[in-house]
Amino acid sequence: MSKKKLVEFSRYPIAFVALFVQIFLIIAMFLYASLAFTPENADPTTGQSLGANIVYGFVIGLFLSFTLWEIGFSIREEQTRGTLESLYLSPASKFASLLARVFAILIWVGALSVFAILVVGSVVGGLPVANAGLALVVLVFSISGFLGLAFIFAGVTIKLKETAQFLVSFLQFFFMIFSAQFFPFKALREASPLIVDGISRWLPVSYSVDTFRSLLIGQTPELGPSMEIEILIVVLFGILSPIVGYWAYNRLERGARTQGTLGEY
Amino acid sequence: MAAAVVSRGFGLGRPGWKAKRDVVRTVFLARIKIITRYKGAIFMEALLPIVFAAMPVLLGTTVAGANAGAVFEERVGTSNFRLYMLIGAATFTVVSLMLWLIGYWVRREQETGTLESLYLAPARRIYVLAGVTSYAFVRAMIAFLIAILLGSVVFQVNPFEQGMGLAIVFLAIGFLPLWGLAFMFGAFIMKIKEADAVIQVLQWVLSFLMGVFYPLTLLPVYLQTVVKLFPPTVMTDGVRASLLGINFLYNSAFASLAVLFAMALVVPLLGYKVFESTERRLRRKEGVGHY
Repeated sequence: MSKKKLVEFSRYPIAFVALFVQIFLIIAMFLYASLAFTPENADPTTGQSLGANIVYGFVIGLFLSFTLWEIGFSIREEQTRGTLESLYLSPASKFASLLARVFAILIWVGALSVFAILVVGSVVGGLPVANAGLALVVLVFSISGFLGLAFIFAGVTIKLKETAQFLVSFLQFFFMIFSAQFFPFKALREASPLIVDGISRWLPVSYSVDTFRSLLIGQTPELGPSMEIEILIVVLFGILSPIVGYWAYNRLERGARTQGTLGEY
Repeated sequence: MAAAVVSRGFGLGRPGWKAKRDVVRTVFLARIKIITRYKGAIFMEALLPIVFAAMPVLLGTTVAGANAGAVFEERVGTSNFRLYMLIGAATFTVVSLMLWLIGYWVRREQETGTLESLYLAPARRIYVLAGVTSYAFVRAMIAFLIAILLGSVVFQVNPFEQGMGLAIVFLAIGFLPLWGLAFMFGAFIMKIKEADAVIQVLQWVLSFLMGVFYPLTLLPVYLQTVVKLFPPTVMTDGVRASLLGINFLYNSAFASLAVLFAMALVVPLLGYKVFESTERRLRRKEGVGHY
């Protein structure tokens, strides 16, 4: 399945290039937006700190949205092509089949992330990179946690079909705002402390963003009481989320099979 | 030879204006009927501009803190950065939807295998396209209005303080070149086929060129020259300058309107010509039905 996905990717070179251009443009747009709020004689380190906040949050956002989109979208594709039901009758592991769908995209997002960091670094004159090893561990557990969310979403796709795309768009933007992917949490707190205390603090994705960003910038985290506790939350998220997610997926899929709607689209 | 006869008909019945109007109406109603089955899409379209606007607003608050309004006024000419972002994001949604809906319509017809049959029907393409673009226009306007009204409540801003009439004029004239661009985009999708990737990247290219979240004066001079010739940029700038009382891209409302009007005359014709010639080339190579 992973090989099939890689082959598919390699056959769409325009999509390949388009993604790189897209990442470059998103970053450029947000950098220009921040420039409109920067006084003309501002300290250059302000730009570096801002660039780091934007790009490190953006990297987590990239992994989250691509994981969510890829699994759900590829299930939907199998539904519309009419191959989902036959695939599920084959003696292959369903878990492996789900996991394999994101393998290629994760490699691709990794490359995109490096590209994004290099672009922003070159624009703002270098980015802080403290605790890179630990940040990488946090990233791995975060991705594992996102997989759990993606499994749930795959199940929801089987049930909701076309409408699931709107749901994933909504989730993507929901996390973008409430998990503060493009700005520090203090901006949300300034808008209303209730947003951070009532929403952001309850989202595991927020801790992934905060821990990853704080570790790389070398600052104290904004959400949890300490870095150790935030790391613990991310690790637990990375372990529990795939288990819960796969369980939820199995339930939804079994429901669809019982009702005979698995192959419908 | 046979295909030519089928595609042109036997020359016996030429559709009258009532039949032409019916083509537009039928295509329009069909699209509207389909979208009413996906209520989530309409909701998301109205919500997206608010989320889009929220990001630079929060980013600006982070950068400038309590002075955000003052610094923004120094750079842009208005301290009302929330309304600035909301108008930008809502106008961007209109532009993006117009292109997206036309591009996806072509792609969808290709994928479902109905594009070629549609080309054999005895209806001129311009009327079919008019139906699709009218539908895109209505859908985009609904999203725009809901986004502005809902966004005004969320960001606690009042877009009705000044210049509403002028803003509507900019929006109305701006739609004409947008139709032309939508035709060109449809032709492009028909040719290259990979709609998803192109539409996604184009969305960001558009938002970058339109200065959705920043004044165009921040861009390098050569880029400023390019974006001044891009119709959606003039439209967004006109709507924003009217409602916020800031400088127009071409220094005055009249000059900006004149430029947009000229674009409204040229771009739709150009767009349709591009669509027709692309389509003709593809038909010759038997490529209309390929996807």
